[in-house]
Amino acid sequence: MGCCSFVFFSAFLIIALVIALYITVRRYRLLRAERDELEQEKEVIFGFIHDAGEVFANAEGLDMEGMLTRVLFYAMRTTRAGAGAVYLLESDKQTLRNGAVSGIFPPLIGKVDAGLERAMSKSQHIQKLVRSQVIRKGEGLIGEVADIGMPILIEDPERDPRVPHYDLDYLKIHSILLVPMRFHQQVLGVIVVINRVDGQPFIQTDLNLLQAVADQASVSIHFAQLRESLNEKQRIDHDLDIARNIQMSLLPKTIPKIEGIELAAFNYPALEVGGDYYDFVEVDEKRIGIALADVSGKGISGAIMMSMCRSVLRSQAPGVTSPAKVLNGVNHLMRKDIADDMFVSMLYMILNIETHELAIARAGHERPILVPGDKSGLHVIESPGLAIGIGDEEAFGMITKDTVITLHPGDVVVTYTDGVTEAMNENEQEWGIDNFTEAIRVSADEGAHSVLNNVQQRLMRFVGETPQYDDTTLLALRVVR
Amino acid sequence: MRECVIEREEKGDMDILHLDGSLDAYSFPRLEGSLNGLRENSRNKVILDCTGLDYISSAALGALIGFARRARESNGDLKLVNLTPKIYNIVELLGFHKILEIYQEIDEAVNSF
Repeated sequence: MGCCSFVFFSAFLIIALVIALYITVRRYRLLRAERDELEQEKEVIFGFIHDAGEVFANAEGLDMEGMLTRVLFYAMRTTRAGAGAVYLLESDKQTLRNGAVSGIFPPLIGKVDAGLERAMSKSQHIQKLVRSQVIRKGEGLIGEVADIGMPILIEDPERDPRVPHYDLDYLKIHSILLVPMRFHQQVLGVIVVINRVDGQPFIQTDLNLLQAVADQASVSIHFAQLRESLNEKQRIDHDLDIARNIQMSLLPKTIPKIEGIELAAFNYPALEVGGDYYDFVEVDEKRIGIALADVSGKGISGAIMMSMCRSVLRSQAPGVTSPAKVLNGVNHLMRKDIADDMFVSMLYMILNIETHELAIARAGHERPILVPGDKSGLHVIESPGLAIGIGDEEAFGMITKDTVITLHPGDVVVTYTDGVTEAMNENEQEWGIDNFTEAIRVSADEGAHSVLNNVQQRLMRFVGETPQYDDTTLLALRVVR
Repeated sequence: MRECVIEREEKGDMDILHLDGSLDAYSFPRLEGSLNGLRENSRNKVILDCTGLDYISSAALGALIGFARRARESNGDLKLVNLTPKIYNIVELLGFHKILEIYQEIDEAVNSF
């Protein structure tokens, strides 16, 4: 009996030992698997931290495309994704455009017919299609993420109608993960990854990691965008510099010295290059031509128009004593080259330096102001005319006529462009013709330079620090007493 | 400056554009857009009601002249109605009053087509 119970006891002990051993081994294996998984995760996280540093390092030297390619590379490495794409929100904030794509990444929106699917059997064809697609905010999965600014993880796309289904095996989407790139609550774009390389679906950890990649990338992208718009601004500034240089080179370097006549002029270029210009031409040995013009176009096109105007005037002026005739020639030569919706206003006066006879023709320009030396009161000199570039020879000739006056000692003639009278102060008030004529009236007696200085001072006091958008040009002449 | 509001009124084969505000460098592209839209639809008879127009820049006037010139090639035109003295002075200074037809009343402009 005792022997029997010993055998039973021994058997029980062995079974218990085997079970215990089994449990221990099993637990050990489970622990090891868990440890492996943790190890793997740790590796991914370390990789990510390293990658995040990489995204930032030397980011200044990268253009936007290079930057997005790098972001996508790390996004895919971090999530172990087989393919992926990065989309950026356009400046209209309504549409998304692909910035980078890698791996076999099938289009996520639009119907793909069988023919197209066959054509897509080459990966570059798919890339081309994906790259050219413009996605509206709210459209498809990418548009949705851009719209709501939240990530989307789809572990089982088979049953999700938002994911396109392709028949070709290698186009199939087994798992998809999308995260927004945000900067200060603003969505900048979307990162999409599909199909983990180990065949497993993406999990929450992948989402967290990818969102972290996206958050890091957003900062770099934000500054890259800033840099791009800054470059654009620099380009525009550069264009304006060129235009300003052209303009400055067209203005006379010196003002002609004529016995018995005091001449003064200034041109103040505006923030955005305007199209003002003035010039002196020798008509014959006793006549000088004085021109003042304002081109309606700004920037380089305005500057080119001005330089044309100057050359044409200089070719027409010598030997011709009627300013209207000269302007008609200028109009005739320039009309074909001026855009339909552009024109030039020009004042051209010819002064006989012996008789002080002043012939004036006005192609749509501001009328000159005469301040007689006998203090009989300031008045504008009327002369009918049409802006250059508007009418043909006949119409221009019919409208534009010479006005001839004789100047007396002490008489002052002031010509200007509308930048003077339309100069604005910070309250958006115009300086206006009345302030202008008052500034002329009180200073005319002291001569042309005095008029210029007084107008300039009063004008500067009026506008203060307000940036001006139009050039201001002023030219005055006086017959010395 | 007030931004320019453009209201379009269709009258047979004519379009009356009622302008309200300032047509400066920033708001004139809107008028240009409206005019281009009309041209694309072959609507070439346009009356510009300038009753509420405070200011017009030279670039905007250029756009008007350009439209009128092209409209005339297709038996249309662009006519101005009810210019304030300030606007008239700008138009007159440039000599455009000799190129564009100007009327006091919309009806006069309508009957002139």
